[in-house]
Amino acid sequence: MRKMREKNPTSYELLFGPAHPGSGNFSVRLRIEGERVVSARADPGYLHRGFEKLMEYRNAMQNSVLSDRLCILEPLNWNLIHAEAVDELTQEEIPEKAKYIRVLMVELSRIQSHLIWYGAMSMGLGFDTGFKLAFGYRDYILDLFELITGGRVYPAGYICPGGVRRDLPDSAEGRIRKVMIKMEEMLQRCENFETTTILPRTRGVGTLSLKDAIRLGATGPIIRASGLKTDVRRDDPYEIYPELDFEIPVRREGDAYARCMIRRQELRESINIVKQVLDRMPKEKLKPVKPKLNQKIPEGEVYVRNEIARGEAGIYMKSTGEDKPYRCKIRGPSLLHMIPVLEHLLKGCQIADVPAIYWSLNICPADMDR
Amino acid sequence: MLGTIYELLRNLFKKPMTVRFPHESIEIPNGFRGEHYYDIDKCISCGLCSKICPNRAIEMIEMPEKYKEKYPKSYPRIDIGKCCFCGLCEDICPRNSLKLTKNFFLSTFDPKSVIKEPIKNDMD
Repeated sequence: MRKMREKNPTSYELLFGPAHPGSGNFSVRLRIEGERVVSARADPGYLHRGFEKLMEYRNAMQNSVLSDRLCILEPLNWNLIHAEAVDELTQEEIPEKAKYIRVLMVELSRIQSHLIWYGAMSMGLGFDTGFKLAFGYRDYILDLFELITGGRVYPAGYICPGGVRRDLPDSAEGRIRKVMIKMEEMLQRCENFETTTILPRTRGVGTLSLKDAIRLGATGPIIRASGLKTDVRRDDPYEIYPELDFEIPVRREGDAYARCMIRRQELRESINIVKQVLDRMPKEKLKPVKPKLNQKIPEGEVYVRNEIARGEAGIYMKSTGEDKPYRCKIRGPSLLHMIPVLEHLLKGCQIADVPAIYWSLNICPADMDR
Repeated sequence: MLGTIYELLRNLFKKPMTVRFPHESIEIPNGFRGEHYYDIDKCISCGLCSKICPNRAIEMIEMPEKYKEKYPKSYPRIDIGKCCFCGLCEDICPRNSLKLTKNFFLSTFDPKSVIKEPIKNDMD
């Protein structure tokens, strides 16, 4: 905390993060007068690791291991985007079952990412029960990841160019169905708490109009909470999404409560998608993809975009005919949510509302700094 | 409010979600990516594991004099401190001489113990 002017003792600068519990490796400099935030300045760059450059020195299989680390909270979604970019360059035919497994894993990853958000949001609002509930139930999904990919948090490029690295184990289907029942039970329990905890702290807080959302480049749940029905899974379908039946939740309010409710409904939709994928999963055995050295990627350039839990993510990849990409540009959804949208929403709000606005955007410092 | 009280009472009579870790633990599934197991007798010294490793944690080294007669080629030395446990070395190995096991108790204070030599003991 630093006093801005000697004459006015109520005016000071406050740093929200990077040591704040839950803010992640990210900070916001708030200029405060009394209880009101006059202006906010995002201060990113604490987690820069230089992925775009690292990818230029590694082949496709090594890059898919690296793509886990783009966002720690949803590594499988980033695996899929990278794998799709390489597949589009090589024009390789993906087995039908691999496509189903990819969508299954991506939706499970979306559920666990939304659960982390629910936990962090609850903690920000001082609702500790919600935090423990969400992280407890998330562990059931991590158990599934451990069974299927061999690692709890990092799948190590499970979704790789050409399909997936191993087939689903026989016991997986039954266990996923059991976990989905538990997830529904958890959602029911959360709804019981909602009116006493989340609703009073978030309604009418941090309202983002549709015009501002489009101007500032918001995507995913944030723009859907402001009233625009858009979802890459519908608008520009990939994998097996055109065959699946799911709703895209939209709300018009644009406040923090609407953003929370959109994610709550998305959790339900994702559970539905997982069930549909399990029902339609082909029965034959899948041949796992083995890593190869010196596998040349044909010359060309491609841009692939996907809907991940935080919004729209994309990878632009250019190949000059070698086994390593010439250039790989990554577009993470969090950059625009963390800098222009957050700064816009924090301006003029009360200091007590800062955590509610911050966590309602569900931002990930890892995919912003890259 | 009633819902919250009902939830509180229900939780009093429920089993905890966690297990008492050192005394009991959850089952680790097959295919878990833990510490490496290396069988030097199956190895053909192709060096594919060291080439595919994204973190360059595997180095092909020559054996010391007393083993040189039996093992004349170069063999992988794994630095577990650099390893990200992706399992690409296991997948690419043509003879299944390198495998990842279920052992995840790898924390240590001794920096030397994280380096896995091709043959245990007397390698210094």
